[in-house]
Amino acid sequence: MLASASPLIPEMATQEVQLNETLAHLKTESETLKSKLEEERAKLHDVELHQVAEKVEGLGQFVMKTRRTLKGHGNKVLCMDWCKDKRRIVSSSQDGKVIVWDAFTTNKEHAVTMPCTWVMACAYAPSGCAVACGGLDNKCSVYPLSLDKNENLAAKKKSVAMHTNYLSACSFTNSDMQILTSSGDGTCALWDVESGQLLQSFHGHAADVLCLDLAPSETGNTFVSGGCDKKANVWDMRSGQCIQSFETHESDINSVRYYPSGDAFASGSDDATCRLYDLRADREVAIYSKESIIFGVSSVDFSLSGRLLFGGYNDYTINVWDVLKGTRVSILFGHENRVSTLRVSPDGTAFCTGSWDHTLRIWA
Amino acid sequence: MSGKMCSSSNSIIQAQKLVDQLRVEANMERFKISLTAADLVQYCQEHRRSDPLLTGIAASSNPFKDKKTCVLL
Repeated sequence: MLASASPLIPEMATQEVQLNETLAHLKTESETLKSKLEEERAKLHDVELHQVAEKVEGLGQFVMKTRRTLKGHGNKVLCMDWCKDKRRIVSSSQDGKVIVWDAFTTNKEHAVTMPCTWVMACAYAPSGCAVACGGLDNKCSVYPLSLDKNENLAAKKKSVAMHTNYLSACSFTNSDMQILTSSGDGTCALWDVESGQLLQSFHGHAADVLCLDLAPSETGNTFVSGGCDKKANVWDMRSGQCIQSFETHESDINSVRYYPSGDAFASGSDDATCRLYDLRADREVAIYSKESIIFGVSSVDFSLSGRLLFGGYNDYTINVWDVLKGTRVSILFGHENRVSTLRVSPDGTAFCTGSWDHTLRIWA
Repeated sequence: MSGKMCSSSNSIIQAQKLVDQLRVEANMERFKISLTAADLVQYCQEHRRSDPLLTGIAASSNPFKDKKTCVLL
């Protein structure tokens, strides 16, 4: 009869005990470090942001209306991005279509049909000469935009990124040459567009990564990502290292966006709140929420000065927040379904929203 | 190595990574909110005049706002 449940070979028993001891030791060390981190962060919490902002004048009434409605997608709009020329927009949809619009005239300039549905991510290249997109195909592809309207854009398609799950977000870096992606496979990655080569990968999220944003160029080579693990991580692009991590949201983080100075970033989550994280204090410094707001935030962006934070919500509305005072200054109605994406234009004159109601709206 | 040992050593690799990561984060230099928040406020104030959505620029200079039509009498 075999004796007990322990391994038959004595050496293996000893080794296993040793491994378990090491594991326990490491777990204790990580708990200690986590407590230390909380302590250090708490020491710096000497005042609230809205208290520092007490002397700042309050904001008046805002009149913002829909100035343009872009119609043409056959299904939910999932993502959009502005061109640096401040008038063109690229948008992508559940129906597999990617459309480039002139937002001033509402004319469609280009349209591409992707081989997959749910094109969850799209981005305009800094030069304005290409767009990137992807989704359920697990890839990020780049399409050069041709001046010749008759040219078949799909023919020039270049596959750049390959993930092992859906592409949730993509962004060109400072040039057309590199793309940063985030994926349902839990990673982010930096790619060379020309060769399709993986330049750096970023591991650390424990679940799908849903969004990312690059730091303003003056701030250096970092970016922030948010995921289904409720964490927002700040990464060093060169080393691949996670340099800061924030876990205060109570649900998936759908959107992250840097404050214009690069010293902070905002996030929007399924927990119905937007939050502001100060990178130098290394902690959350504001929560933008109301008891009456119970639907998730899909997308956030700042106005040019950073004073206003726009949030697109799953209850079809846009809430406008006073970043410094923490109060809501306006609520905008118009979309007939969830707002899924929101970006302020490069010169700050307007912002664009995309919705599950198949349309995009320009607000000013 | 048995299956049980493999998963133990994988857990150790994971746990070690976590400890290394936390060490990096713990060593970061941090500043008080009273200082950093003051900088956030200052940035807003310095840039408020050049924020069209904040100041609400006139229809004539905002390409998205429709200009009022002229009526020739």
